[in-house]
Amino acid sequence: MIHLAYLDAGSGSLIVQAVVGGVAGAAVAAKLYWRRLVDRFRRQPTDQR
Amino acid sequence: MTTSPAGVRPEPASFRDPANRVFHVGDEVLRGLDEQAAAHWRALTATAFFPALVAAGKVCATEDAPPALVPASAGDPWTAVLRHERIPFVSHPYEWSFTMLRDAALLHLEILRAALADGFTTKDGSAYNLQWRGAEAVFIDIGSFEPVRDGEPWAGYRQFCQTVLYPLLLTAHLGVDFQPWLRARVDGIEADQLRPLFAGARRLRPGVLTHLHLHGAMQQRHAEASTSDVRAELRAAGFSRELLLATVRGMEKLVRKLDRRPTGSHWSDYQRTCGYSAQDRAAKERFVTDALTTGARPRLVLDLGANDGRYARLAAEHADYVVAVEQDPAVVDELYRTLRAEGQRRILPLVLDLADPSPGGGWRGVERAGFAERASADAVLALAVVHHLAIGRNVPLPEVIDWLAGLTAPAGAVVVEFVHPEDPMARRLLANKPDGLFPDYRRDTFERLLAARGRITDRLELPSGTRTLYRTVMGG
Ligand SMILES: C[S@@+](CC[C@H](N)C(=O)[O-])C[C@H]1O[C@@H](n2cnc3c(N)ncnc32)[C@H](O)[C@@H]1O
Repeated sequence: MIHLAYLDAGSGSLIVQAVVGGVAGAAVAAKLYWRRLVDRFRRQPTDQR
Repeated sequence: MTTSPAGVRPEPASFRDPANRVFHVGDEVLRGLDEQAAAHWRALTATAFFPALVAAGKVCATEDAPPALVPASAGDPWTAVLRHERIPFVSHPYEWSFTMLRDAALLHLEILRAALADGFTTKDGSAYNLQWRGAEAVFIDIGSFEPVRDGEPWAGYRQFCQTVLYPLLLTAHLGVDFQPWLRARVDGIEADQLRPLFAGARRLRPGVLTHLHLHGAMQQRHAEASTSDVRAELRAAGFSRELLLATVRGMEKLVRKLDRRPTGSHWSDYQRTCGYSAQDRAAKERFVTDALTTGARPRLVLDLGANDGRYARLAAEHADYVVAVEQDPAVVDELYRTLRAEGQRRILPLVLDLADPSPGGGWRGVERAGFAERASADAVLALAVVHHLAIGRNVPLPEVIDWLAGLTAPAGAVVVEFVHPEDPMARRLLANKPDGLFPDYRRDTFERLLAARGRITDRLELPSGTRTLYRTVMGG
C-alpha cells in the first residue's frame, strides 16, 4: 500500500536524512546509491560510453 | 470560506491537511476528524507518551466532543470531533524572539522523539505546530500525529528546516534577525535562498554543511524522483527507526548549540537610562494598577512598547493574560528568558513593530491573521510609546488614537502616557526632525482627541511635570 502524505516531503529531503545519520546512515545512503547504479547498468547496458 | 451554520467559523489556517479541520464555535476550539484521522486519534489516546505530554503541558489539552458540534466537510460528516484547550492569544513564529523559536524547536523535536519511541510520528514539522501559554511553548497540532511506518525518514524534515532550523541558523551564525524572512514566506526559507549567505568558511558552522548545503544539493539532484519511490528505496536500503531517532537526536543537539549573539541593542538598557525619577516611577505604577483594577477584571491586556516588561508584570497581577509587544528582538529575547525562568504562563512577549505590525499572510492573506485581527484587548497599555510613533515615525496623533481605539474591545480601557514636547526624551526625538514639523504634538491636542474617542476617567501628571497619564474608557 502506498502512503502519500498531504505534505510533499521532498525526495532530496528524505535521502539526506540517511546521510546525516552518522555511520549507519551513510551505510544506508551508500546502499541506496549502489542499488541505483546497479539498476542503471542492468537497464541500459548499451547506454554506456 | 465555506458557508456554515451560524456561529461556526472554520479556522482559516487549517485547510492544508484535509484529514482534519479546526473550527471555532464561540470560545471553543474544535477539530473535525475524518475516518482515518479518527482511528489515529483513538490509537494516540491509547499510547503512553501522548497522555504524558498532555499532562506535562507540552501538548494542548484535548478531549472528545459530540460530532454534531461541527458541520460536515464536503459531504461526509466528520467521524469524530475533538475539543482543544484554547490558546489565549495566537501568535506567529515571525513574532517570536530567537530563544522562543529555539525552545519551540526543541519542544517539537522532543515530542517527535517521544512519539517515535511509542510507534508514532508527526506528519509535518512546522513552526506553526506550536503556540504559547505565556512563556511556555505548547504543541497544538493534534492532527499531526500518526502511526509511524518503519523504514521511512521524517516527512516533516524539510518543513522543519524551512520554518525552524534555517531561521535559527540565520540568527545564530550570521546575527541576522529571522523574523522578516519568516514573515515574508509562509512556507519558510528554502535551502537555496539561504545557501549563498553561507559561503566560504561559514559552511563549517554547526549544521550548515549537512542540513543546509547537502540538503539543498540533494533537493536539486532528486527533484525529479517521486517521494514514494524514494521511500521504497530507502526502506529497501535498510533505513530504520533507530536511524530516524539518531537523526532527531542529532538535530536536538544542534539546536541546543545554537545561540543568539549578544548585541547590546539600544533599548536593552532602557530601565537604567530612561530618566524616570523614583517618584515618577512610583506614581506611574500606582496609576497603572488603579487603572487596571477600576472596572471588571480584564481578560486580555496589551502592553505596547513593553521593553523589559515591568508594566506587563504589573498587569498580569490584575488580568488573565498579557501580551507584551516590543519592536526590539534582543529586548524581547531577554524578557522571554526571564519570564521562562520564572515559569510565567500569563505573559506572552512578542516581537512586533507597532508602526509595521504583522499583516495577514498566506492564502488570501487570511491564513495567518494579522495583528490587528487578533488584538482586541480589555485594556491597552501605551506607556511612553506614543511619542515614538507620533514623532519618531511621523504618525499623526489622531491616527495614533484611532489605532489605540481599534485595539480595544468595546468598553475597554486605554491607559496611555503622553510625553510632553518639553520632556527630554521627546526633545531628543524632535531634535532629529525639522523644527515645527509637529505643531499638533501638544498635550491639549492629545487630550481633546482622546476625549473625542472615549471618556477620560483618570488623569495624572507625573511629579517631573513633563508626562501625563490617562485612563480612557473607549467609546464610553
Ligand atoms: C520609552 S520605552 C517605554 C517602556 C515601557 N512601556 C515604560 O513605560 O516604561 C519605549 C519602548 O517602546 C519600544 N518601541 C518604540 N517604538 C516602537 C514601535 N514602533 N513598535 C514597538 N515598540 C516600540 C521601544 O523599543 C522601547 O522599549
